[in-house]
Amino acid sequence: MSVRSSVGFFTDTSLCIGCKACEVACKQWNQLDSDGFEFSGMSYDNTQMLSATTWRHVAFVESPGAGAPGAQHNWLMLSDVCKHCSNAGCLQACPTGAIVRTEFGTVYIQEDVCNGCGYCVPACPYGVVDLSPIDHRAHKCTLCYDRLKAGMEPACAKACPTDSIVFGHVDEMRQRAEARLRTLRDRGVTSARLYGVDGGAAKDTEGQGTLGSIFLLLDEPEKYNLPRHVELPQNTVLPSSVLTAATALLLGLGAALIFGRSSRDGR
Amino acid sequence: MAVEPAQATYYGLPVLKRPHWKWEIVLYFWIGGIAAGASVIAAIADLFGDEEDRRAAKAGRLIALPLMAVAPALLIKDLGRPERFLNMLRVFKVKSPMSMGTWGLTTFGTFAGLSAFLELLPFHGLRKLAGLLGAPFALFVGGYTGVLISATAIPIWFKNRLLWGPTFLASAFSTGIAAVQAALALAGTPSEKLHQADTLALAAEAGLLGSSLTRLGDAGAPLTKGRWSTLFLPGALGLGVGLPLLLGLFRGGRTLALIRSLCVLVGGLALRACVIYAGKDSADDPQAYFALTGRNGSR
Repeated sequence: MSVRSSVGFFTDTSLCIGCKACEVACKQWNQLDSDGFEFSGMSYDNTQMLSATTWRHVAFVESPGAGAPGAQHNWLMLSDVCKHCSNAGCLQACPTGAIVRTEFGTVYIQEDVCNGCGYCVPACPYGVVDLSPIDHRAHKCTLCYDRLKAGMEPACAKACPTDSIVFGHVDEMRQRAEARLRTLRDRGVTSARLYGVDGGAAKDTEGQGTLGSIFLLLDEPEKYNLPRHVELPQNTVLPSSVLTAATALLLGLGAALIFGRSSRDGR
Repeated sequence: MAVEPAQATYYGLPVLKRPHWKWEIVLYFWIGGIAAGASVIAAIADLFGDEEDRRAAKAGRLIALPLMAVAPALLIKDLGRPERFLNMLRVFKVKSPMSMGTWGLTTFGTFAGLSAFLELLPFHGLRKLAGLLGAPFALFVGGYTGVLISATAIPIWFKNRLLWGPTFLASAFSTGIAAVQAALALAGTPSEKLHQADTLALAAEAGLLGSSLTRLGDAGAPLTKGRWSTLFLPGALGLGVGLPLLLGLFRGGRTLALIRSLCVLVGGLALRACVIYAGKDSADDPQAYFALTGRNGSR
């Protein structure tokens, strides 16, 4: 297959019905362990967040209708997933080279290389990567690397009954997202906006490049637990290092001056 | 009437995942800093000092070596898969402070061993050369830990990204010098030059910590108001910086020098523990993160 053209997801929350088929299909295909049977009390969301054993997570935002009793209840649902950033914090942080960019342009953790140092976890600005308490290595969505190799679409996209999750080349996903945004705006859905598309309505990905997983949202990103603007953590490395080196130089110079004087002088 | 939250969140659930680092990393940040500071001050005393400063140089090198022997063991123990620690040496990534730290630590460890060995031999020129060549790597190990935590998404680490490196470096100086001073005080007479050098490092540390807390503002709450404030304020700030600066004003003998040095050392440990554990609390706070990433976020 011809490579060098990245693939990714377009997750359209306006089509999501909250069935969690994506969560289940992902768990089954990737043989991920159970997260237990915790009852969260947070709408229909007992999964709560992405983790080492949950690579698709459906968020449920329930807004009771305003005003009179019986006013319509508003539901927002979003199937969250690894963003497969084009400038990925986890990949840049990884000190073993376990996290790589695949031939499909996706971000992939090689489990046979990862030594569980855990640095990728706080380096992910979306809180996606997680260390497994079972095998003590880092895990996240592989964008079904094995299925891509076999020419199939990822399990979540395959299982989605409303095509809220679609899979394809990133350029095509973006065109599709922009077309859908126009349609919704034309119908008067003014709250619709894109997430993860540079220069899009929300311009949400400064420093992170284009995301491999883009979203159409119906409210503020924070409502879905998505950060609005994230900066690549590694942009910090150069300025921080320069200032640290300058401090080292000044303190070293000061100490050298102190030690340069004769020991007989003072006191 | 319910108070409106400052920012909508998703059931108050964290956006970020907490770093898993525990006591091994706290201890490593601390002893790595001490070894770095002791090693650098030993090299400086050897290169710029006179005959009386040889004691400080020797003590510094003999302190740095065992600490550098323990440091890698702590880091390996912290790994999820300790048997795969050699995978760290597969790559060399300039933008990954942990990758650079691995290489820096390896090189510094080598120099620490070489310098301590040369202390036992009569090759003065060679010993000074090893000290000079090793000093940049020692300084790197003293400061890179601050850069490492800055290059994450954790609000309390990321927001103060320009100053954690310099702060940890100043603390490496103050604790490393304090360790050497404590050793000299125990052995007999403390050094007046070490006393002055530690005052310089402590003054720098006080300034950097003050600037950091100002810069952090509300994002610094896990350190200044959260549960770690009970250790951070009296321990890291009071015992580690304030009291030693105060004690430095008095002229005293070896007992005072010893007490001052121990305060600095314990305070340095409190600083590392508080900054690492406050990072975990900060990761759990979606409001703090959205304040950084939001439309009007002050980045």
